[in-house]
Amino acid sequence: MKSIIQTRLIHWKKQWLSLLFWLIFPIIASLLIINVTSLIQEDSKIPVGFVLEENTPMAEALLESVKDSPLIRVFEVTENQARDMIERHELDSAFIIKDGYEQQIHRGNRNKLITSYKSDLSFAYTPVSEMVVSYVQEDAGKAKAAHTVMHLAETLKTSEAVTFDEIISLSEEIQSREDLLRTTFSFNHGPSNGNDADITIWNVWGLWAIFSILSTLLLFDWVIKERNSSLVSRFSFIRFSYKSYLLQNLIFYTAVLLFVDSTAALVFHLHVGETINFRLVGAIISFRFICSMAAFLLALLFKNVYLFYGVSFAITLFLAINSGAVLPIEGLTGRFEWLEYLNPLHPFLHQEIWNSWLIILILILGIWFAKGGKLNA
Amino acid sequence: MLNVQAITKLYGDRLILDDISFSIQAGEIVGLVGENGAGKSTMLQLLATLSNPTKGNIFLDDLSYQKHKKNIRKQIGFVPQDIALWEEFTVEENMVFFEKLSWKNKTKQQLKQLCLDMELDKWQEPVNTLSGGMKRKLNLAISLIHDPKVLLLDEPTVGIDLKSRKEIGNYLKRQALEYNKIIVYTSHDMDEIITLCDRILCIGEDPFYKNILNETEKNIITF
Repeated sequence: MKSIIQTRLIHWKKQWLSLLFWLIFPIIASLLIINVTSLIQEDSKIPVGFVLEENTPMAEALLESVKDSPLIRVFEVTENQARDMIERHELDSAFIIKDGYEQQIHRGNRNKLITSYKSDLSFAYTPVSEMVVSYVQEDAGKAKAAHTVMHLAETLKTSEAVTFDEIISLSEEIQSREDLLRTTFSFNHGPSNGNDADITIWNVWGLWAIFSILSTLLLFDWVIKERNSSLVSRFSFIRFSYKSYLLQNLIFYTAVLLFVDSTAALVFHLHVGETINFRLVGAIISFRFICSMAAFLLALLFKNVYLFYGVSFAITLFLAINSGAVLPIEGLTGRFEWLEYLNPLHPFLHQEIWNSWLIILILILGIWFAKGGKLNA
Repeated sequence: MLNVQAITKLYGDRLILDDISFSIQAGEIVGLVGENGAGKSTMLQLLATLSNPTKGNIFLDDLSYQKHKKNIRKQIGFVPQDIALWEEFTVEENMVFFEKLSWKNKTKQQLKQLCLDMELDKWQEPVNTLSGGMKRKLNLAISLIHDPKVLLLDEPTVGIDLKSRKEIGNYLKRQALEYNKIIVYTSHDMDEIITLCDRILCIGEDPFYKNILNETEKNIITF
């Protein structure tokens, strides 16, 4: 094996740039798509202006609640700026939290607390204003409840005097502890994401798997190039049979690719917050064996390297479509469940270690190696 | 000694070699001549263990080709007609590459000396920048890394200049003389064959080769 590694390193010295590119391509491409789509998502949020005429905790809390919405991008502006920006259609709408907001809420007043501006092109004004009104109603409801409790305490003459702020903070504590309804959005079988603000439309491991299939196929073009060369005749007079030489190279490539895969797991953990667990590691190892063996066996069928490249792209596209990453195929897979099992991405995305592809490919590889032939010394 | 005993080779129904026997002593250079399609390359393939005879057997010393193919291969250096080199590698990288896969380990200095012995001094040059003669020398040098007893050369000097031919010829003579190697050599260049070889095996019916060979004083075997 040491000799095989040494000879392979001589090859890699000559093609380190393309090798490096295809090794890191799945990581770079996946992160690029994730980041670009996140940027686009950020740009597609509704721009809404907010004017704070007072800096009371209640007014600031209202602003923070609006900012937490995953669909709204908040601009803190003055009233004049807000009007100008709406006229230029840079803002969809603007809301002014009037001076005395907190005081009015404390008094139980729910009218004319917020002033809003919109233009004739404000397409999202109604839902945004509904949302703002719901937050104000929440504040008003809390205040009313607090006043009712305080009134009861005074009427019933309880020993413990409670303040307005204590009641509000206790009610918020109970609210967060006993969250009555919480919905999260995630793709089927995708990682669950509790924070709505971080929703992404792509599954990073799905993307990585598709790019990995492509890069592995293209990395294995050495099988065709080296089998086509006149050098094959020399392999009858070396220590290894040609098949053994090819197989040991396959093992070495797989080991290097596994190292790169573990780097991918680390990078995705650090940059996208993906969790690393034993199931994921097992699924990655299994997926890597499937990819390497499939690419190797496929390359053995070809003599023309350009035809192999074409077929590699076609296979990758087919698997991407079949996995539902490009087009939704739930309707199809619902009717034909076996379609999912044909796709090697399916077990990986479900973090399954053992699957039929792994066993089939090991068997084919074993048959290829055991079968006699011209290449076997 | 290489001993060929009553070899017959058929490709389908086509008879290529019919009941051929001969032996080659250590230190002997034997030329293999004949018209295209006469069976020279087939004979070389049989001697190189790359093909099996339909009938008959070959022995290297006491080892049967049929029974000890792997051991026989360790003792054979085969120089293919095509230039079998990594074109983008340097001379050094080509030598090191095949040394790593070879039966015998050699130091870089020994590999370099092997090249220098056949006047191949462009150690760091990429193969694709070398002349045809230099490539042929490297083609030969790689086949000698594991110090084979038998050297089989399939038209090793085709398409190269006279100087390189002479250098390769002289090197082969030294190998036979100093290291007692058995050398079997095919070529269409009759002058080269007559100058270089101790004996000549003529395969095929073409009288052209036989007439030329009859004018020499070499020991000629015809089949």
